[in-house]
Amino acid sequence: MLAEIENPSGADATATSLNVSPIDVTRVLAVAGTAALESCGGGGGSSSASGSAPVSAADASRFLGQASMGASRAQISRVQAIGYAAWLDEQFDMPSSGTRWDWLVANGFSDPSHKNDEAGFDSAAWIKLLTSPDTLRQRVTLALSEIFVAAIDGLIGGGWKQFGAAVYLDLLEANAFGNHRTLLQQISLSVPMGEFLTFRGSAKANATTGALPDENYARELMQLFTIGLVQLNPDGSPRLSGGNPIDTYGQADITGLARVFTGWDFDPAGLTGAAITATPDFMRRPMVQTGTRYEAGAKSFLGTTIASDTPAAQSLSLALDALFAHANTGPFLSRQLIQRLVTSNPSPAYVARVAAVFGNDGSGARGNLRAVVRALLLDDEARNPANAASTSFGKLREPMLRFAAWARAYGVTSPSGAWAIGNTSDPATRLAQSPLRSPSVFNFFRPGYVPPNSALGSASLEAPEFQIANESSVVGYVNYMQRAVAGNVADLTPDYSTLLPVADDANALVAEINLVLAANQLSASTTAALATALQSIPGGTDPNRLKRIHAALVLVLAAPEFIVQK
Amino acid sequence: MTLDASRRAFLQRASALSVAGIATPWAINLAAMGEAAASTATDYKALVCIFLYGGNDYGNTLIPYDNARYTIYQGMRPTLAYAQADLAATVLAPSVALPGGDQYALAPELAPLLPLFSSNKLAVMLNVGTLVQPTAKADYTAKSVPLPPKLFSHNDQQSVWQSSAPEGATSGWGGRMGDLFVSGNGNATFTCVNVSSNAVFLSGRTAVQYQVSSTGPVALNGVKSPLFGSTTCSNALQALVTAPRTHLFESEYTRVMSRSLVAGDALTAAFAGGPTINTVFPADNGLADQLEFVARMISTSNEVGAKRQVFFVSLGGFDNHDGLASIHPGLLTSVADAMSAFHAATVELGVANQVTTFTASDFGRTLTGSNGSDHGWGSMHFMLGGAVHGGRFYGAVPEVANDGPDDVGQGRLLPSTSVDQYAATLGKWFGISDSNLLSVLPNLVHWNASDRNLGFV
Repeated sequence: MLAEIENPSGADATATSLNVSPIDVTRVLAVAGTAALESCGGGGGSSSASGSAPVSAADASRFLGQASMGASRAQISRVQAIGYAAWLDEQFDMPSSGTRWDWLVANGFSDPSHKNDEAGFDSAAWIKLLTSPDTLRQRVTLALSEIFVAAIDGLIGGGWKQFGAAVYLDLLEANAFGNHRTLLQQISLSVPMGEFLTFRGSAKANATTGALPDENYARELMQLFTIGLVQLNPDGSPRLSGGNPIDTYGQADITGLARVFTGWDFDPAGLTGAAITATPDFMRRPMVQTGTRYEAGAKSFLGTTIASDTPAAQSLSLALDALFAHANTGPFLSRQLIQRLVTSNPSPAYVARVAAVFGNDGSGARGNLRAVVRALLLDDEARNPANAASTSFGKLREPMLRFAAWARAYGVTSPSGAWAIGNTSDPATRLAQSPLRSPSVFNFFRPGYVPPNSALGSASLEAPEFQIANESSVVGYVNYMQRAVAGNVADLTPDYSTLLPVADDANALVAEINLVLAANQLSASTTAALATALQSIPGGTDPNRLKRIHAALVLVLAAPEFIVQK
Repeated sequence: MTLDASRRAFLQRASALSVAGIATPWAINLAAMGEAAASTATDYKALVCIFLYGGNDYGNTLIPYDNARYTIYQGMRPTLAYAQADLAATVLAPSVALPGGDQYALAPELAPLLPLFSSNKLAVMLNVGTLVQPTAKADYTAKSVPLPPKLFSHNDQQSVWQSSAPEGATSGWGGRMGDLFVSGNGNATFTCVNVSSNAVFLSGRTAVQYQVSSTGPVALNGVKSPLFGSTTCSNALQALVTAPRTHLFESEYTRVMSRSLVAGDALTAAFAGGPTINTVFPADNGLADQLEFVARMISTSNEVGAKRQVFFVSLGGFDNHDGLASIHPGLLTSVADAMSAFHAATVELGVANQVTTFTASDFGRTLTGSNGSDHGWGSMHFMLGGAVHGGRFYGAVPEVANDGPDDVGQGRLLPSTSVDQYAATLGKWFGISDSNLLSVLPNLVHWNASDRNLGFV
C-alpha cells in the first residue's frame, strides 16, 4: 500500500488535523462502481456517500457551494428533489450554453477595429460564470483555468487577445468532463497557449549562436500542468528518499522535452502574411508545423526517448502520452481539483480515492475528468456535514466565487446585455482577481501557500486563496460588494423577489440569505447580531425594504463564516 | 562544524516540510538557530527592494562594451544585441577600472541611472545569484556541493532569492531583518511594508508584512459612513469582520481585516501630518507609483515612530522568452525613471543617506537566444542611495561565453557572489550584528567572515 514515509522532524508531514485513515479499498470500489454505472448510461447511481436519504436545504446549499458557481433557491430545490448524484448527472449532460467566441462575434468584437485591444473578453467570461445553466461545468472550467493557466495579457503575437482568451476558456469548458489526455493535446496545440508560454515559433537548436529551443512550455507543462516538481505517492504526499523529496525531472529533461515543442505556429489556412491574423480565426485553429523549425533529432526526457526523424505531431503525442501516464499526474491534478472545489487540506486518503478514479474510472479508462469530478464531490469527506464543524475543514472562497455566489443567488441580469463588469483585478477597489487574468502562469495563488506567522501555519494547514487576501483586498472586496448589491456595478440588476417578502422580518431575512449564500454556516449568535442591527433600518415600504436587504447582503457577504466555505 | 552540520540537517528538514507545502513552525526554527537578539536603533534607515518579476535579462541590461567581449555578446544573440554604437552614450566609467580593460555599458534605456553612477550614488553588482555555498564550475558539473533547490524555476527561485528556501518558505530575509527592529519601532505594523503583492521576502519569523496599495490604505466604506444609512449596521459590520473566530481560516481572515483597519487609520493620520513631496514621479509607471508611496511613507516615518523599515516594490513582465527586443527596453525605461525619481525624492526629503535601494529578480537569463532568452541563474543588479559607495563595480566580471568557465551553458551565469553576501552587506549597513546576520541568512556561514561584507554600502 502506501510507502512508508520517513520524517526526521518527528512531525507528521502528511496527516492534517482531519482524521486520516488508510485508503479504504471498499470505498474506492464503491465510487468507481458508481462511475462505471454512469459510463454505461445508468445514471443516478447513489453511493453510500451520496445516499438516498432526503437532502436538507442546508446540505443542498453546502453541496452547491462546492459544485456550482453559487446556490440559489431553485438549485437548492433541484438538489433536494433528485439528490446529489442525479443532480451531477443532470449537470454533466447539460448542453452547452454557447461559446464565448460566438458571443464576441455576435456583439461586434470581431470588427477589425478590435484587433489590437481586448474589448469584450471580460463580459464574455463573466456572462458564463454568472448565468450559464451548466453551473457545475462553469465551476470546473474556472478551476481548470487556475491549474492550466493562461492569461490574456500574455496572448501576444497576432492581436485579437479577447478571442484568444475566449477560445482558451471555451477549450477548457469543452473538455471539463472529458479526458485529461485530450485536454492536454488541445491545450498543447492551442494558439493562446502557444503564445502565452511562447513555444509558438520556437525553433530547433542554432549551431551558429548556440541558441536552443524555447524551454518555457516544456518546463511549465511538467511543473504545473502534469507532474509537478517532486515524486508523489498515490495519495498526493511527496515520496521521500533519505528524508528528502525526489525531483521528478532535471534541466536535461526540460531541454529534451523542449525539442518536441518546436516548429509549431499559426495555421495559415491558405493565407499568407498579414491576412493570417486579419481576422481572429487563427486563434481557434490548432497550431500546425510550418517552415523548417522543427527539431527532428532524438528527444530524451523522463526516461523516454523519441527517436530521431519522428514526425512532429507524433513526437508531441508521444510526449503527452508519457506525461499523462506518469504516476504523479493523477494525484497531482486530483488534489488541486479538490482544493479548488471542496477543501484546502484534503486528507491523503481522500486524494488517494479520487486519484484512483483518475487512474481507472471503473471501465478501465484513465483520465476521465467527469468521473474524477463526480468522485471528489460525492466522497464522504466532501459530503459528510460533520466535517463542516471542524475548525480546519474548507477553504477561503476566492473573491470571484463570492461575487458569483451573490449574482447567482439573486438572478443578476444585465438589461443592456453588455455585462460591463470589466477587469476586476484591482485589489483596492475590486476583487483582486478576474477571469483569465492571473499575473503569471503560477495562478493568483499557489496550491501550497501557507500564510506566514499564522495559526494556519502552526497547524500545518495550506490556504491557497490567502495569497491574495491582504490588507487592501479584504477591504476592497467588501466595498465592491457594497456597490454591487445596490446595483452600482455596471448595469447589473439583481432580483430580490425571494427577499422582499421576508424583509420586514429581519430574522427571516437573515435566515433566508444565510441559507442560500452560506449554507446556514453563519452561527446563531452571528445571525442574531445581524438581525438586531438590521432592525435599525425600517421596513414597511419597498424602498426601505431594499435598503435593509442591501445592508443584510453586505453583512453576510462580509461575514468570515460566509467567506470561508466549509 | 557541529553547528554547520546541525544547520544543514535543519535545512533539510525545512526543505522536506516546505515541499510538502507545510509551514515550518518557527518555534522549532528559532530553537534550532538560536534566538536573534533584538537590535536597537535611534536613527532612521530604510531598505527598499525592487523585485523584477520574471527574471531580468542581464545580457541586455549591462552590456559588455569592450570590443573583444562585445563581439562575443553580439555573436551569441545577433537578433537581440544592441548595436555597439548605440551604447557609446551609456558606457560606465568606474572609479576603479575593471581588470583587463573590460568595459560595460548600461542599456540605453537606463540612461537616467548614468548620472547616479557618475555621482557615486549607484553601484553595480556583477553576477550575483542564489548559492548554498561558494560554488565553482567544477563543483557544479560534478554535483559535489549542494546547489540551490529548483534552479531555473520561477516561483522557486523567486522564493530562494527572497528567503533562501524554495516555494513554501514562510519567512524571507527582509522580514527576518525586520524582526530585529520591530520592538524599536513605534508601530510594529509598519516595519515591513509591501506596496506590491504578497512576497515571502517581507515575512519575518514574527514580523508580518503590511500590504498596502500605492494609492494608500483602503477605508471600509460601510464602516466609514453609515451602512445604507444605518450607523448601527456599520457598527455590526465592524464587529463582524474583526471579532476573533475559532475556525482557523476565519480567524486568519479577521486578523488580516483587523490589521487593515487599524493600520489604515494610523497611516491616514500620519499622512495628514507629513511633508509634501515636490519631486515629480513619472506617469504611467507602476513601479514609480509604488516608489512614490514608499517615499511618502518614509516622509512620515517619524509620525509612526519608525526607526527601521524594509520596503518591497516590484515590476513584472521580465520573462521574455519571446519579444524581448520589443518588450524589455520599455521595462528598463520604467525601472530607470522610477529609481531616478525615487532617489531625487529621498534627496528632497533629506534622507538620501538613510535609504538604500537595491534590485533583485528571479534569476538571470541565457545569453543565447533569437526572439528572447531563457531562464538562467546569476545576474547583474544595482544598489542606489546616498550611503552606497557608488560609481564602481562589485564582484567578478564573468566571461561572456556559452559553457565557458563562468556559465553553466547558454550563458546562464554561475553566480560568483551569493544573494546571502549581497543581503549581508545591506544588513550590516542596516545595523545588524554579525551574529544576527548568520540567523537572518542561513547560508552565510558557508562564506569566510572576511567575504561576508562586500563593502558597497
